Amino acid sequence: MEIIAAVDRMKRNLMEIICCPTCKGDLALSVRKEEANEIVQGSLTCGKCHVDYPIEEGIPNLLPKEKK
Amino acid sequence: MKDEEVKKVVRKNYGDIALKNSPCCGPQPVNPSNMNSCCGAPPSADDMSKKMGYSEEELAKIPEGANLGLGCGNPVALASLKEGDTYLDLGSGAGIDCFLAADRVGKSGKVIGVDMTPEMIDRARENVKKAGLENIEFRLGEIEHLPVADNSVDVITSNCVINLSPDKGAVFREAFRVLKPGGKLMISDIVLLKQLPEAVLKSAEAYVGCVSGAMLKDEYLDVVKESGFTDIEIVGETSSGNVWLNDPLAESIIKTIGISMEEAKELGKSIVSIKFSAVKPKI
Repeated sequence: MEIIAAVDRMKRNLMEIICCPTCKGDLALSVRKEEANEIVQGSLTCGKCHVDYPIEEGIPNLLPKEKK
Repeated sequence: MKDEEVKKVVRKNYGDIALKNSPCCGPQPVNPSNMNSCCGAPPSADDMSKKMGYSEEELAKIPEGANLGLGCGNPVALASLKEGDTYLDLGSGAGIDCFLAADRVGKSGKVIGVDMTPEMIDRARENVKKAGLENIEFRLGEIEHLPVADNSVDVITSNCVINLSPDKGAVFREAFRVLKPGGKLMISDIVLLKQLPEAVLKSAEAYVGCVSGAMLKDEYLDVVKESGFTDIEIVGETSSGNVWLNDPLAESIIKTIGISMEEAKELGKSIVSIKFSAVKPKI
C-alpha cells in the first residue's frame, strides 16, 4: 500500500507538468524500478512522436530526440 | 560554430566542471595554480556567491556541492516566490537556486530544474538526496525544448545561462509557453554593449566563458519582447569590465585569438551582466 502511494505521488509529481520536449504532447509513464519515493528506472513515452524518454538513476532524460 | 557544435562544447565543459568540483564558468585553466579561481573571484564558491548577493543564511540552506560558484547571481529573483508556487530554473546546474527556491515555495510548491549536462543533473540529484527534499525535480533537457507543460509555471529564473544558447529566441518562446498567464520571468545574463571582434566570436573558449555567445543588449531585449513578454524591466546592470581580465579564462581567450592587453581591456568594457524581469500578460 505504501509503495502504491509512493508511485502515485511520484506519478503526480513527475507527470503533472511534464511534456514531450519536441511536440509538447503528454507522456505516458512506465516504471521498471522504484525505491522509496522515487522512480529509479522507467520510461516516458510520447504517444504522438512514438519516442521513449528513459528514466535512469532517477533522472528523466528529456533531451530532444528524432521522431521514429 | 554550428548550433549542435556549440551545445556539444558547452555540455562538455560544464560536464567537466561538475565532475571537478571547482568553481569556474569556463574551460579549466591551463595553469594549475589558477585551478580554483575563475571569473575574477576568490577561490571559494561560497565567497563568490556572497559577492553575487546570496546571504550567509541562504547559503547555509544549500546542500554541500550544490553551489559551484558559477553564474552571475540572481538571488533577488527568488524573493518573489510564494508558498505553493511552481518554479522553474533554466540551466539549473548543480541546483543552487532550485534549493533556495524549494525552501521558499514549501511542500505545496514545486521546483523543477532543467539542464542539458548529465553530470550537472547527477550532482543536482545527489544534492536532492542529501537534502531529503521531495518538492524538487531535475530533468535532463534543453532550454530550447523544455519538457514542461504549457501554462504550468509561476516563476522562471535563469542565471547566466541563456547567453550560452545558440537559439535565444527559442529559449524565450519556450519560457513564455510554460509560464502561467501573469507568470514572471527573472533573468540574469551576459549581454554586449557593442559587437565583439570576429576572432572572439569564433573562439569556442570564449563561447563557454559566456562571452562570444552573448548578444547585443538591445537585440537581446527585442527577442524577449518578440516572444510575447511585457513589462520588461532591467533591475541591474554591471559592467564585467576588467574583472573579466582577472579570469584565467580570459588569459586563454586572449592567447587563442591573439589580441593585445589593451584590446582585451576594450573588449571587457562591452561585456555587461544584466538582471531583468518580464511578465507573461494575463491575456
